Amino acid sequence: MAKLAKLQFSAPAWLASFMVVALMLFSSISQASVKIESWMTEQGAKVMYVHSPQLPMLDIEVTFDAGSIRDGDDFGLASFTASLVGTATKTQSEDQIADGFNKIGAQFGGSASRDNASFSLRTLTRDGVMQAAFEQYLDALTQAQFKPEIIERERERLLLGIKQKSVKPQQILNDQLWANLYPNHPYAHPTIGTEATVAKLDQAKLEQFYQSHYLANNAVIAIVGNIDKKQAEKMAQQLSSSLPTGEKPAALAKPKALAKAQSISKEFPSSQTYYSLTQLGIERGNKDYVPLFVGNHLFGGSGFGSYLMEEVREKRGLVYSVYSYFAPMKQNGPFIIGLSTKNASAKEAEQVVQQTLKDFLNDFSEERLQAIKDNLIGGWPLRMDSNSKILGYISMIGFYGMPLDYLEWFPEQIKKVTKQDILDAWNRQIQPDKMLTIMVGQPE
Amino acid sequence: MATKLVKTLRKQFIGLISLGLMSTSAFAQVSSYKLDNGMQVVVKQDHRAPVVVHQVWYKVGSNFEHSGKTGISHMLEHMMFKGTKELKPGEFSKKVAQMGAKENAFTSSDYTAYYQILGKQHLGEVMKLEADRMRNIVLTDEEFLKERDVVTEERRWRVEDNPNSKLYEKFKAAAFINSPNHHPVIGWMSDIRSWTAQDARDWYKQWYAPNNAILVVVGDVEPDKVYQMAKQYYGKNSPENIEPPKPQIEVKQEGERRLTMKGATKLPSLLIGFHAPTLVTAKDEAERQEVFALSVMSDILSGDDSSRFSKNLIRGSEVIASASASFDPTDRITTLFTLSATPNQDKTPQQAEQALWSEIKKLQDEKISQQELDRVLAQAEAQYVYHQDSIQSQAIIMGSLLSVGLPADTLDNWVDNMRKVTPEMIQKVAQKYFSIDQQTVATLLPNGEQARNNGAAIPGKGVH
Repeated sequence: MAKLAKLQFSAPAWLASFMVVALMLFSSISQASVKIESWMTEQGAKVMYVHSPQLPMLDIEVTFDAGSIRDGDDFGLASFTASLVGTATKTQSEDQIADGFNKIGAQFGGSASRDNASFSLRTLTRDGVMQAAFEQYLDALTQAQFKPEIIERERERLLLGIKQKSVKPQQILNDQLWANLYPNHPYAHPTIGTEATVAKLDQAKLEQFYQSHYLANNAVIAIVGNIDKKQAEKMAQQLSSSLPTGEKPAALAKPKALAKAQSISKEFPSSQTYYSLTQLGIERGNKDYVPLFVGNHLFGGSGFGSYLMEEVREKRGLVYSVYSYFAPMKQNGPFIIGLSTKNASAKEAEQVVQQTLKDFLNDFSEERLQAIKDNLIGGWPLRMDSNSKILGYISMIGFYGMPLDYLEWFPEQIKKVTKQDILDAWNRQIQPDKMLTIMVGQPE
Repeated sequence: MATKLVKTLRKQFIGLISLGLMSTSAFAQVSSYKLDNGMQVVVKQDHRAPVVVHQVWYKVGSNFEHSGKTGISHMLEHMMFKGTKELKPGEFSKKVAQMGAKENAFTSSDYTAYYQILGKQHLGEVMKLEADRMRNIVLTDEEFLKERDVVTEERRWRVEDNPNSKLYEKFKAAAFINSPNHHPVIGWMSDIRSWTAQDARDWYKQWYAPNNAILVVVGDVEPDKVYQMAKQYYGKNSPENIEPPKPQIEVKQEGERRLTMKGATKLPSLLIGFHAPTLVTAKDEAERQEVFALSVMSDILSGDDSSRFSKNLIRGSEVIASASASFDPTDRITTLFTLSATPNQDKTPQQAEQALWSEIKKLQDEKISQQELDRVLAQAEAQYVYHQDSIQSQAIIMGSLLSVGLPADTLDNWVDNMRKVTPEMIQKVAQKYFSIDQQTVATLLPNGEQARNNGAAIPGKGVH
């Protein structure tokens, strides 16, 4: 049925990663069994560590404040840099690096979002394997080189990807959303850049970006797995001392909210219209996050338990998926409502969404709120039931500077939050008369 | 949920399987039972968190369907959330949500599965609900028609506006003539529009019964207690007379097949498929070995960034922007070994096709190296450990294997079976299954249409 699929599948990839973070937020506590330890290395890297001995494996993720907000005018620079890390080092070629990981079953990955760039390693902890994997990771991440021939090849591939975005209605919508919600702000441009800016990226810029952002004192090192604290300390120290130190990036400016409602329409030859209603949301750590989050679960964030799904899909059959979420970021991330429906229903779906939001801001069922709270609190253990989920949480907590007891604190707040708290927070945050509407398709 | 989830899950599964799931492991402790009414029960313990995944798998999917009613399995999956004699529409999900559970369902060509992930203390309650909807759903015309609209939106979203999905649908329809693999899991739009509630009721009655179902439980549980609970809840359901589907063996391919499709894309792309056996269709041990050889070959071609496609085509040649190989060795009926590619800027699909064929020829002409084989095996072993990080993926793998009639220990023996594959065997299967006469080639070409940029930002009067 369709159920939760809405979250995972209707949202484009970047959304999905937000959702993970947004949901994540929430998640943990449950058992005293997840014990987060944190310390700083000598060079100023923050380490987050959870001992998880049940499976013979290890996950490491290093996150830098080196996302696309640091692009300057070179849109796509952060993302291109991240994608090239792992393609060459001072001593190894691209094939050697790939083989170094693959022949022992280790996995390496790296990518950039708006707020950060992160690099992961997954390996078995078996003798011989773990050390080899870690050394390969250390070399790939801290000794990266940017070879002109690889830059050119990857640029070609990236340009193809950018070009292809122009025929994907959801991606057209996403680009419009960020560009219009964040005018003159580093969140505005696409993380992967544009055809024009990517064409101008060169070796010197990539090297410069890498050297000035991939710093020990600009890094969070998250470690989860079957290694003891001593081993974790040693690995974190090795990573940290292999990176330079330097000046941390400047604070990010706060985006300005739209002064009045705005409407954007792009014609596209698709059978569905893609629709979003959006405005600025909140930054990570905002004091209203709990009531906004719990309220959003009820409004549009929990699939079949939410009002949007009931009104737009269950009562009227207008969509397969409809959702809403807050994406808390370094600065105010967006609040987004999204759906896609056949062109002939676009206007009707829009009206239903607007009315549902208006009604929600006015009042909602106490009983349904309790049901949503039960779901969130009862489901707490699910959010911490694997190493990869724990890794995601501790990376987020470390990067955004959330307190270490955040995950125990959070469900306590959910229990306490009242209907009035939620109504107050939503009415403070959401201004229905100053929202951005985007439609891509052929709405009739 | 539906096809896309299916695909996603399946992809994960394929990844695990073909990267090699298993190896003899101290972790896998599967307990199997059978209820008097024929329902299979398998339980695997994982005590890392006080959590359990509960899944019921029905052996029915799009490959069981008839022309004119394609997609009805998926539609029935949607209707399973619309109430029973005991519960109103939507009430199932409400009750499950209050337990703190995550739930969903997915439909594939060979099976339809329902799952909940939740705190272990709620296992009995959720079994009671799932057992109820195994035999007692109430399928009204009114709910059916609304949900049919939802599925048409789902199809628009997944397929109609996605040229690559559409190409894949047409590619499969060309590659399979009389096999039910000809039809998409979600169904053709015209079939979707003409389903009636009675079609779904009949389908439910025909296939949803304990003797056509498998219960899979993975998590912080004691197997015997799970069995007792299963007896208590599922044991009450009466079995049905299940008539297995007709064989519908695909006709022999006698010469290549080609199709092109024009769509809203900037980039052309290409699919090449060859019929291939699976562990289920294999007639004997020799053919089973071929299936493992094909599976290893798929990893040699595109399992990771040391694979041949990455090394030779994406990094090595100027022709290909991306390429991959895929093969599902556990399909219930004859499947496809598929190669796909997107040519680089200013390169043609013909050049991409030649590049893919140059890799096939290499496999046919030369033996792969021991080093390549070792790498694939190392990945397989590691992957087996990694997949245990998720109780859901452990359960999905077991359920999907059992659903097509493969033994639960298929996975436990996977790496051992991969080890028996030799470079000679890979060369032999490359020669046997890949030829021009056996290929189906589908090409997506840009139709020249694109978004018109005249609708620039218009300051609105406000959103009401």
